[in-house]
Amino acid sequence: MRKALEEKIQHLKNEILLLGSMVEQAMRDAVDALKRRDVDAARRIYAADRDINNKRYAIEQETLITIATQQPMAQDLRVLASILEIAGELERMGDYAKGIAKINIMLGDQPLIKPLIDIPRMMELATSMLRRALTAFVEGDVETALAIPAEDDEVDALYNQVYRELVTYMIQDPRTIDQANYLMWAAHNLERMADRVTNICERTLFVVTGELREFDDTDAEATSDRPASQA
Amino acid sequence: MSVRPRFDPNRAARHRRARIGMVVFQLATLVGIVVLMALLYNIINNAFGLAAIEYRIYPATLGLDLETLPQTPRERLLEILETHLSPGLRRSLERTRPLTQRSNEELAALVLERVLQPKVLDTWPLVPSLLHTQDIVAEVHARFPQAEVRWVRWLNTRFLTRPQSSDPLRAGVRTAILGSLWLVAITAATALPLGVAAAIYLEEYARKDRWYNRLIQVNINNLAGVPSIIYGILGLAIFVRALEPLTSGAVFGAVAEGVTANGRTVLSGGLTLGLLVLPIVIINAQEALRAVPNSLREAAYALGATKWQVVWHHVLPEALPGIMTGTILALSRALGETAPLVVVGASTFITFDPVHPFSKFTALPIQIYQWTARPQPVFRNLAAAASLTLLLLLFLSNGIAVYIRHRARQRRLV
Amino acid sequence: MTETPAVELRNLNVYYGSFHAVRDVTLAFPKNKVTAIIGPSGCGKSTVLRAINRMNDLIPNARIEGEVIFEGKNIYDPDVDPVEVRRRIGMVFQKPNPFPKSIYENVAWGVRINGFRGTKRELDDIVEEALRAAALWDEVKDKLHQNALALSGGQQQRLCIARAIAVKPEIILMDEPASALDPIATLRIEDLMRDLVQNYTIIVVTHNMQQAARVSDYTAFFSTDESRTGFLVEFGPTAQIFTNPKDPRTEAYITGRFG
Ligand SMILES: Nc1ncnc2c1ncn2[C@@H]1O[C@H](COP(=O)(O)OP(=O)(O)O)[C@@H](O)[C@H]1O
Ligand SMILES: [Mg+2]
Repeated sequence: MRKALEEKIQHLKNEILLLGSMVEQAMRDAVDALKRRDVDAARRIYAADRDINNKRYAIEQETLITIATQQPMAQDLRVLASILEIAGELERMGDYAKGIAKINIMLGDQPLIKPLIDIPRMMELATSMLRRALTAFVEGDVETALAIPAEDDEVDALYNQVYRELVTYMIQDPRTIDQANYLMWAAHNLERMADRVTNICERTLFVVTGELREFDDTDAEATSDRPASQA
Repeated sequence: MSVRPRFDPNRAARHRRARIGMVVFQLATLVGIVVLMALLYNIINNAFGLAAIEYRIYPATLGLDLETLPQTPRERLLEILETHLSPGLRRSLERTRPLTQRSNEELAALVLERVLQPKVLDTWPLVPSLLHTQDIVAEVHARFPQAEVRWVRWLNTRFLTRPQSSDPLRAGVRTAILGSLWLVAITAATALPLGVAAAIYLEEYARKDRWYNRLIQVNINNLAGVPSIIYGILGLAIFVRALEPLTSGAVFGAVAEGVTANGRTVLSGGLTLGLLVLPIVIINAQEALRAVPNSLREAAYALGATKWQVVWHHVLPEALPGIMTGTILALSRALGETAPLVVVGASTFITFDPVHPFSKFTALPIQIYQWTARPQPVFRNLAAAASLTLLLLLFLSNGIAVYIRHRARQRRLV
Repeated sequence: MTETPAVELRNLNVYYGSFHAVRDVTLAFPKNKVTAIIGPSGCGKSTVLRAINRMNDLIPNARIEGEVIFEGKNIYDPDVDPVEVRRRIGMVFQKPNPFPKSIYENVAWGVRINGFRGTKRELDDIVEEALRAAALWDEVKDKLHQNALALSGGQQQRLCIARAIAVKPEIILMDEPASALDPIATLRIEDLMRDLVQNYTIIVVTHNMQQAARVSDYTAFFSTDESRTGFLVEFGPTAQIFTNPKDPRTEAYITGRFG
């Protein structure tokens, strides 16, 4: 029954996975380029971001058409509403990748004040979370979706480490303040990306159970507040 | 500002009007039922009852029981015939077929007709017979000291299987029943195909916005209301007179037995009745065709069917039960017609059965009409018995119509 | 439109007696697509549909002007046999109308009357194939010789679709095929339409906009003017008509702000 609608939803889920891997690739490329101080690669990420934006609009358009023409109800409706939401989240993550690429460009030809270690680890963690969160969403796997937000703590921990380290650099040598600030931004983008993965997991729960709530409320508050309060 | 609707508060009056309506309708139905009951009462009242019967030789004096006459020992019957028949009559009977070779029933019949020779002196209807049995017996003894009072069922198997006779105790309606059946068969054979074909033309083919088709339709409707005597005159002019060589069977070399019937044959009668019911058959068949849902026709057309395929495969089978019931009801009407048959020339008194379309004939209603015209009271009873027979035939044919409809409905649902 | 048309209306006008029912419709129905015709009651949807396979010929006072081009030929040309047109452009009606015969006969009849020359076996195969295509085979394969009227409304309608398919039409016209059915049976018919459109061109009239949105690839919106004459307002891809109609009258209609 309702084959047309099911086919549409399946297609949109695939599109979401595709968009997710585009974002993941963009983030990976952005961090890699920063690590290697490859400004040309950073410019290419700008172009990739346009593709991500277009993909998001295409998904949004198709979802709206599906809602308008197929009159989804209940879970079907929740899936489509969530796809709209997730497409937006992914596009924002794409913007974070672009932000990191922009930092790369702004650093110009300066060498890095220190080799990047924790930021690539944050990137690995966040993209892995994203990949699994999207898979869980597409498969309606609530269990996995509920487990992922806990990993956000790890990202937050790395972020705190990066923060302390960069502050130490800045105190020791004020000439590094400029670059350290930029790198702080890059780390912050990755931390935000992991937060947004949590939103995707919330959507999975919403689709399957109809329950709409924020995960790990206290954790989320604490991690995003900590650097601010310390600053 | 919203307007509050004001409703008639007097619901009691509305209910009263509804009750009055119901009572009126019930009364109308009641009147119909009462009339029907009166008719049935009148017929049944005359079809059974007491009769005063006189015999040349009373059965009791011979030790016979009328009820079980055929079961009387064979030797006794032969002995009675031996002693009570005149020698001349006996010889002529023996010449036809030796008495000893005849069956018990035949011997018993001979004893009844030739020896006992019952004669009806007077009859009483059923109700007085039941209520005043003693008075009737007393009256008979006073008026006809010789006579015997007996219960008689005027409608009995002998009545149904005997031909017409001037002796009321021997008269039957076989000839009339057969005549009526021949008439109905001929009527059906002409009116059904003609009527259905005309109805199909009018319903399925004719464009209703053409004046000539409307004219035909109006004419058919009016013809259905023409008095039957007019059809009789038409039949007389066409079938009896103009088409005499055909209807008398002369062109086929058939000669009516006995006297020649000229054109006054059962064929002429049947054709006349066919004309009479044709408009009714057409109108009924049109009704049945119109009742076939248009969606059925559209379904067939949409598959690329031609008009003929649509009509022949779907419309006609679907309408057939309706056509059949309508036709049977029309034939019932033909079964009861008298006037046109009288005009066409049904015989009022014939004793031989119709055997082919060119036979002389009589019919049940004519028989009834003829008996009611006789002065002797006993013929009233015969007329009542014949009426009952006619009614039963009608019930039978209506029953068949109901059965066909029922069957058709079942077939649709299985 | 880049699609190849299966049938094309050119300046189609339909009259019932002196009543101008449909005015000047020019419209190409794309091949192997579902096109929905929507619009308010009495705007001439059924009239247009019935003009496509000459069913209007059966209505005594109906009159057609303009052309209906099917395979490069106007089906109203005098040398065209409407019987052949209706074989090649089938129709399914609003109320399921199976013949009061067996399920098998319902499907086989159309094949036979169109001059089928073949063995009983071949006919059996055609019947089975049509019933399968109409997603009915599994439900009726054990009772092919039972009366079709014993089926449920939804099954009857699918039988009518099987019956139409059996004579191998190129186009199937459907006049509110699900309006007499319950919601589940309706969805089955809609799914069936999506399956059938692989092999057939489907033109479906529906007063149910949601249904049009669900099943169709293209949508034609009809409306009426002051003299109750129907006309085409807008034709386009269904997705566009339902999310971004070009004509304000279409917008008003699909958003439920107009009759
Ligand atoms: N057989 C007919 N005779 C006269 N007028 C008709 C006939 N069929 C339809 N009409 C009229 O034509 C107009 C369009 O009817 P139709 O095509 O059935 O509309 P729709 O299917 O859009 O509801 C209506 O005004 C209707 O009254
Ligand atoms: Mg309609």
